Amino acid sequence: MFKLDLYKLITTSVALVLSSTLLYGGSDTSTLPGKYISKMGAVDGGVIYPRKNGTYAAYRYNEQSTKGVNFGRIPTANELKAWDVDIMPDGTGLPEGEGSVSDGDELYEKQCASCHGEFGAGGHGYPTLTGGNQEKLPNGVIKTLTNQRIEPGMEAPKRTIGTYWPKATTLIWYIRDAMPYAHPKSLTNNDIYAITAYLLAQDNIVIDGKKMDSEYVLNKEKLMKIKMPNENGFYPNIDGPDGVENVRKFFSDRAKNIGAGTRCMKDCKDLSATGKEPTIMKIDNEITDVVPPYTTVRDLPPEVENKLVSKAEKMYNDACKLCHSSDKMGAPVIGDIEAWNKVTQKGFDKVVHNAIDGVGGMPPKGGFENFTNSEVQMIVEFMIDSSKKKH
Amino acid sequence: MDKISKIEELNSLSRRDFFKKTASVSAVAAAAILSPSSLFADDENIVHHTQWGTTLGNELNENPYGLPSKYEHNVVRRTSSLMSSAGDMHAAVSMTPLHELKGIITPNGLHFTRTHNGIAQIDPNKYRLMIHGLVDKPIVLTLEQLKRYPSESRIHFLECPSNGAGEWKGPQFNSLQFLKGMMSASEWTGVRLKTILDELGLKPTAKWMLAEGSDGSEMGRSVPVEKVLDDAMIVWGQNGEALRPEQGYPVRLLLPGWEANLCVKWLKRLEFSDKPWYAKEETSKYTALTASGRAIQHFYALEVNSVITSPCPERPWSDLIGGELVEIEGLAWSGHGTITNVDISLDGGKNWVEAKLKGLVLPKSWTRFSYMHKYVKEPLLLQSRAVDDSKNVQPTVNQEKAVMGVEGVYHRNSICTWEVTLKGEVNNVQVRSI
Repeated sequence: MFKLDLYKLITTSVALVLSSTLLYGGSDTSTLPGKYISKMGAVDGGVIYPRKNGTYAAYRYNEQSTKGVNFGRIPTANELKAWDVDIMPDGTGLPEGEGSVSDGDELYEKQCASCHGEFGAGGHGYPTLTGGNQEKLPNGVIKTLTNQRIEPGMEAPKRTIGTYWPKATTLIWYIRDAMPYAHPKSLTNNDIYAITAYLLAQDNIVIDGKKMDSEYVLNKEKLMKIKMPNENGFYPNIDGPDGVENVRKFFSDRAKNIGAGTRCMKDCKDLSATGKEPTIMKIDNEITDVVPPYTTVRDLPPEVENKLVSKAEKMYNDACKLCHSSDKMGAPVIGDIEAWNKVTQKGFDKVVHNAIDGVGGMPPKGGFENFTNSEVQMIVEFMIDSSKKKH
Repeated sequence: MDKISKIEELNSLSRRDFFKKTASVSAVAAAAILSPSSLFADDENIVHHTQWGTTLGNELNENPYGLPSKYEHNVVRRTSSLMSSAGDMHAAVSMTPLHELKGIITPNGLHFTRTHNGIAQIDPNKYRLMIHGLVDKPIVLTLEQLKRYPSESRIHFLECPSNGAGEWKGPQFNSLQFLKGMMSASEWTGVRLKTILDELGLKPTAKWMLAEGSDGSEMGRSVPVEKVLDDAMIVWGQNGEALRPEQGYPVRLLLPGWEANLCVKWLKRLEFSDKPWYAKEETSKYTALTASGRAIQHFYALEVNSVITSPCPERPWSDLIGGELVEIEGLAWSGHGTITNVDISLDGGKNWVEAKLKGLVLPKSWTRFSYMHKYVKEPLLLQSRAVDDSKNVQPTVNQEKAVMGVEGVYHRNSICTWEVTLKGEVNNVQVRSI
């Protein structure tokens, strides 16, 4: 038995040696793990690894043909109409519709201001949309964008629609698909043109030499005439037939265009662009606001109360929490006993009524118009209950 | 004092206690190792039976889907309200605990997560993918049909281009998790996009692809067709199981080495065109403003990068007594190719030695490096510097700043520095000219 196995063993090892010779003698001349055949010149500035003879870098793959692998079906015209709705700078995909600056003002107040602030000026923790001085330097660059906070107290560059966004078409596309934040895709095309008109008017965007006053009505044709102040603020140039080649050229000179190191091993110098020696910069104001708090301790977790989440709480989390959990939003914060005492002084029925019809910056039912009145009442009860003194 | 800090105090007390004893016998340490000694106190965990060795363990079907040990409950993703709008956790980012990881794979529950409109919860039975535009035959696929395509599995890192964005103007977080945790790595399984396109017939005029997500933010990005045909994949598998909802369940785009933001999650639609799109996330965001006042757009690959993961602020050397050999270990990665070398500096970048690479060394993947260091109790400035096979060398802060300025937000890949104090504590600092 031993003899037989030994014979088998020898033949197997010979075969193994042969096959590994073939493997290394083939097109793959790499011998060290982690060294792969590659060629420079990828569009991103990196290398490309060829797929050849069933080998791709460290991976083997099945080199049999995949021709004939064919699943799925052709989309219907209605399916394409429903999904092929992206909007390009040449106007492809822009919806029909129109809206005035003043209609936009009203809509903005109702739908957008609670997050993006009055006039799009920010202040609630969500992105600032408008403002920032569009003044340009002689070379055409917007001045605020050259701000560099290399020392504390210096002013930040202001990246708003007016100072930064290169294309107006992006606004229509993004607002239609992704806004309002808590219930995207709920605006009509007229609403979208109106809100876009309002935002562009805040940034004094000129269309066809005309300023946008409150009666100005924006539509597809007028939007196409807009040249955004920072349209030329981006590089490399991705437009036209040479777009991709421009990108490749840009990333092929990484030392010049995005910064690169040098592999010095001894007595290395690391001077700044102005010839200054480096020093050790320590953390000035450490950010410790992390959740959950830092710890590497191995212990048993604290007992979690087996709390059942009520339907009202779930609805609150989905619909109301966004505005009622931060005092930046101007809404009474859940758990703030004083704020809710003030609210409930009006009487419970009035509070429910306000929640259903809308009050101040809050749209009817918080913008969730599919909630029934009794559901809104349940949520109000939950919020009041969660904002009482606990004994 | 809360429970955790109490425990920390107890731990450090017992550690100090232990060192006192060890230090007092250091002169006879060699002898003590060779023969059983009465100089050390007996360890209770050895001389007595353990609780778990004297009772019946849990039933094996207690957790049909396994969970980590309860004692690992602090090994979690962490976030900060400063990385969100007004503390709103629907559009925010959570960081992978890199200080707790080994090897080159991130457990799925610890993969960093960035969302722009919450984590979409998609019913896989209702999931559809549409591929159309400049192709001979447009297509719609169900998830089951997509999974019929021949699959490939590859190990790649994913990194948010904002990783370390808070540090352009100086160090902010004293933590590896927050300095570099906006990245993770997995074995991804899916189909090469080229396999599908070979069948659909891509028209020669197609130069760009729009990838669009189906979540509330409808994330859209333009991708050059060249990348699509090289190594792009449509993936549904992550480390042997389905993608996690946080990672785009059931399907996301994978562009190996490129901004994770381009690897669109909850993928709904791919359209081919001769022009790029100018979507919101490739104009108002994910463009890097330089000191010239103009911004780099279509900034794709994450550049060569590295960080020392041990020691780090969370895993200091304060338990070392000096004289012992200790491993300096870390991660290196490059979206441009494969890591070829990593150098280590102990003096803030003046002098360097080459570290050893270990484990699998794969393209566009995390690569582990290691260097054995004889620790003496003295202050150090630890740095690592990675090199890749597309001739990239990781820049110093000064070198990167000279080209990019400090307001670019994205693609920060300059060398990280850990200050090791006399006591062995580790702090995040930067070596840079002011």
